[in-house]
Amino acid sequence: MATQDDDTLTGSVPDPDTEPAPAELAHARRFAELVDKTLSGRTPPAMSADDRALLEVATVIRATHGSVELAPSQERQVVEDALRQAIGAPAPSRGAAVPIARARVRRWVPWIVAGTSTLVAAAAVAMLWLRAPAGTGHESPVARRAEVPPEWTSRPADSLVGPIARDHAGDASARIDAIFADRLDGFRARRLARGGKP
Amino acid sequence: MKYVIRSLGFVAVAALAACVACGSERDPGPPPATRVADPSDVIDQGLMVALAQAKNFHHKAKVYMTDGNLTAATAAVRQILSLAFPKGAPEADDVRNDARALLAKLLMSQGQLDEAMWTIDEGLAASQRESFFVANLYTVQGELHEARAAAFDATGEPGKASAGDERRAAISSYDRSIQINERLQKKLLEER
Repeated sequence: MATQDDDTLTGSVPDPDTEPAPAELAHARRFAELVDKTLSGRTPPAMSADDRALLEVATVIRATHGSVELAPSQERQVVEDALRQAIGAPAPSRGAAVPIARARVRRWVPWIVAGTSTLVAAAAVAMLWLRAPAGTGHESPVARRAEVPPEWTSRPADSLVGPIARDHAGDASARIDAIFADRLDGFRARRLARGGKP
Repeated sequence: MKYVIRSLGFVAVAALAACVACGSERDPGPPPATRVADPSDVIDQGLMVALAQAKNFHHKAKVYMTDGNLTAATAAVRQILSLAFPKGAPEADDVRNDARALLAKLLMSQGQLDEAMWTIDEGLAASQRESFFVANLYTVQGELHEARAAAFDATGEPGKASAGDERRAAISSYDRSIQINERLQKKLLEER
């Protein structure tokens, strides 16, 4: 909402001989209190844009008049830093002010490092899982497996029978005889090797 | 917050260490010279009993066929299809497919073409892998299509179109049989 004071900087400049209006007097009194508070280190957190602009001007004017003094410790540190730089020594980092942008970066660095490490670990796990060899027969425990010659195993009969000619399509009896004889050989050989145990 | 960051870092380092350890364990070396088989893969008594029974039914069917009793021979061959083989035994597929081929031929010789075709189709649908026995099923399927074509031809002019379709189907079946045989022979040659 616009107030009467909002045009302090943008409104028309009154004649110097004109009597101040009650509103102008009230505004001047309020601004004087604001300047006093600022100089004593109690700057109010909220103020109008005009007041802030005026306050900045007042602060600059006060600083250029040399009436601002540093605390003794800060003054001593500034002098020592200047002397160190004069003799070529590196400026001490102790107590140096950290820019706001760098402070924000420093706050996020641990999170970035931890997040990156977790991502790398997840990628490594995924890669390991994807490149794991499948169906090589190495996965099962060795204790559950035994090395056996192929003749002792149950397997397709293709290599034994071979291609079946059309004329012999119905000769299943001859083929089952061959399969049975072959598997019986393997069964007996395995049994003999195991000392008669099935 | 510090504890959270430290925990995350610890988890990441632990995961990386586990990956490195597993990676060195899983590194597949050269393939073993000897064949490693599960004990359930070996020829056992159950497989031998099933094969012996199949063999006996085939001989029984052969005797019936010699006597000209095709119905009894068909019944004997059917019994092979209901034999219990050890679970996962590749011989089971081979023996059953061979029995189906013979059964289809017996049914065909008795004029039961549709049932013979159904027997073949069922065998092809149940097959887990390509084999010479599957190729043989396609061969018998081709013969069945030829028999059907001949039956359509016997009906005269109205059956000519259907006879043509059956002959094309027969050629297709024979082609599939040939392709399977070629692939398997090539594979067997490579394995030697």
